[in-house]
Amino acid sequence: MNPVNISLLVFMIGLYGVMSKNNLIKKIMGLTIMNGSIVLFFISIGYRKGGLAPILEKGTTGGGIPTTIFVDPLPQALMLTAIVIGISVTALALAMIVKIYSKYKTLDIQQLSKER
Amino acid sequence: MSIHIPILIIISPLLAAFLVLLTRKYKIVLATGSIIISIVFTSTLSSRVLSGDKIAYHLGGWRGPLGISLVIDGLSFFFSLIALGLGLLVIIYSIPERHYGRTYYFLLLVSLSSMIGVIYTADIFNMYVFYELLSLTMYLLIAYPKTGVTLRASFSYLIMGGVGLSFFLLGVGFLYAMTGTLDIFHIAEKLPAVFNSSTRMVLMSFVLIATGMGIKIAVFPLHGWLPDAHSMAPSPVSALLSGVTVKIGIYCLIRVVYTVFSAEMFFLINSHNILMVLGVVSLLFGASMALAQKDLKRLLAYSTINQLGIVLIGLGIGTELGLTGALFHILNHAIMKSTLFFCAGIMIAETGTREVQGQNGFGRQQPAITFAFIIASLGMIGIPPVNGFTSKWLICLAAVEAGYVVLVAIILIASAIAAAYYFRVIQVLLSVPLKQDPMPGHEGEQMIHRGNLFRSWPIYILATGCLLLGLLPTLGISLVKPAVSFLLSHAVP
Repeated sequence: MNPVNISLLVFMIGLYGVMSKNNLIKKIMGLTIMNGSIVLFFISIGYRKGGLAPILEKGTTGGGIPTTIFVDPLPQALMLTAIVIGISVTALALAMIVKIYSKYKTLDIQQLSKER
Repeated sequence: MSIHIPILIIISPLLAAFLVLLTRKYKIVLATGSIIISIVFTSTLSSRVLSGDKIAYHLGGWRGPLGISLVIDGLSFFFSLIALGLGLLVIIYSIPERHYGRTYYFLLLVSLSSMIGVIYTADIFNMYVFYELLSLTMYLLIAYPKTGVTLRASFSYLIMGGVGLSFFLLGVGFLYAMTGTLDIFHIAEKLPAVFNSSTRMVLMSFVLIATGMGIKIAVFPLHGWLPDAHSMAPSPVSALLSGVTVKIGIYCLIRVVYTVFSAEMFFLINSHNILMVLGVVSLLFGASMALAQKDLKRLLAYSTINQLGIVLIGLGIGTELGLTGALFHILNHAIMKSTLFFCAGIMIAETGTREVQGQNGFGRQQPAITFAFIIASLGMIGIPPVNGFTSKWLICLAAVEAGYVVLVAIILIASAIAAAYYFRVIQVLLSVPLKQDPMPGHEGEQMIHRGNLFRSWPIYILATGCLLLGLLPTLGISLVKPAVSFLLSHAVP
């Protein structure tokens, strides 16, 4: 199995968690798993077997190493941003969960929807 | 200076947002001032954009596929005008609310600047980042009163929105894997070349992005978050959510369907038919659910699903007339729905209840506000002198022209249902008050009178806009024209 398929499988697991779990914290865990799978997906797009870090050193420009064995740096840079965004969403969601719990004394979405 | 205008439009509210946090006295001046500066900057570009020019700005001077560029064409100019204009009115409307502190204006300004970012950027990952920023601020704005219901509504929006944006990002990943670039226009250039070798991946990325945006614009099966979020939020935020934020999702969908996946998807899965079917389903669902609502703001929220259905139908027809109608209806819906939410905010503050039945006799206390409400709801139904009629008429004409006569019947049925639920509200508003209730009236009246100027002027401006666009539809259509011609130049010949 290649990493792309694995990351899609993990994405589906996360989606299952978000959709089917009743506990709010478990839903957030599902969201985090989805985020992680996207990170894996992007990194595996840019991966080259035996690739080097894409740093041009003095003297290797022009002749030296062919570009194909460099790892694509762009997805890695993108994923740094995506990880930061994911963390801020998770932090906001957890802060909301704390507030919701202090108001309703429950984290079960079935019971929450009954409350008025 | 003049070449830096596109980035200044985004930076001005963003800078003001952080300055607002430092000051207590000048927060309103800063907020309105920065949005006015953005509007002035935008209007300096109007002559160039309206003549069909495309303005590109490369951030940091890095061109093309390497750097991020901001592109202002007819389409993005049109949407940014809606966002900025309504944003200004929302800020003015929030002034009388004393308990809205600095963080409220901070969040409002960040959300407006990220909206402009989503609209202008030509880099699809950057679009995701701005959209996520916009969503974060929106979750916080909905939960701003910190009551139990708003927290719950905001949380369910957060879950749905998070899933939607994850889908979008995965779709972007597929696009990057195929084309190796993130610039929307470069992807559109390179996609036909890889289409035959990896048809399934193209299809996958289209489905993922369309589903993600479908959650954001609440098309029928994915609408679960909308009624709660739109109805529980504070009234100015409801107007912003329903008038602008949902339109940003539509903007992304239009960009993706018409610019990125233009020709090849059309032949493969007929994405236009999908849009049309989704439109019809949301139209009928939204209309019939709104009919059953007792809560005034919840009724307006379901009405949003109804009107977005009409927009999707217009986009799905895809002819010049259909696109004109759809984009014009986006403008009209933004104006009308924010009028309605502004009015609903005053009604709820004054009568002290959210129930439609509780609004008895409001028409006698505040005739001007009631008049504005009636104008906007006539527009929603689609009755001739008001703007909603023109856009619905254009979409119906386009449907007949393209041979979908059934669609006309469906739009008419939905309009009839809309008439049923809006007339019910109007009837309650105009009726004689059942009994004189001295308790809530006194306190509420004082509050309204102090902020009357700021609360009612946005409503009058918007209601005048409704009538003006209804009487002189060429005014709106001339704004829509460059966007339509841009879309048609990228679509299938």
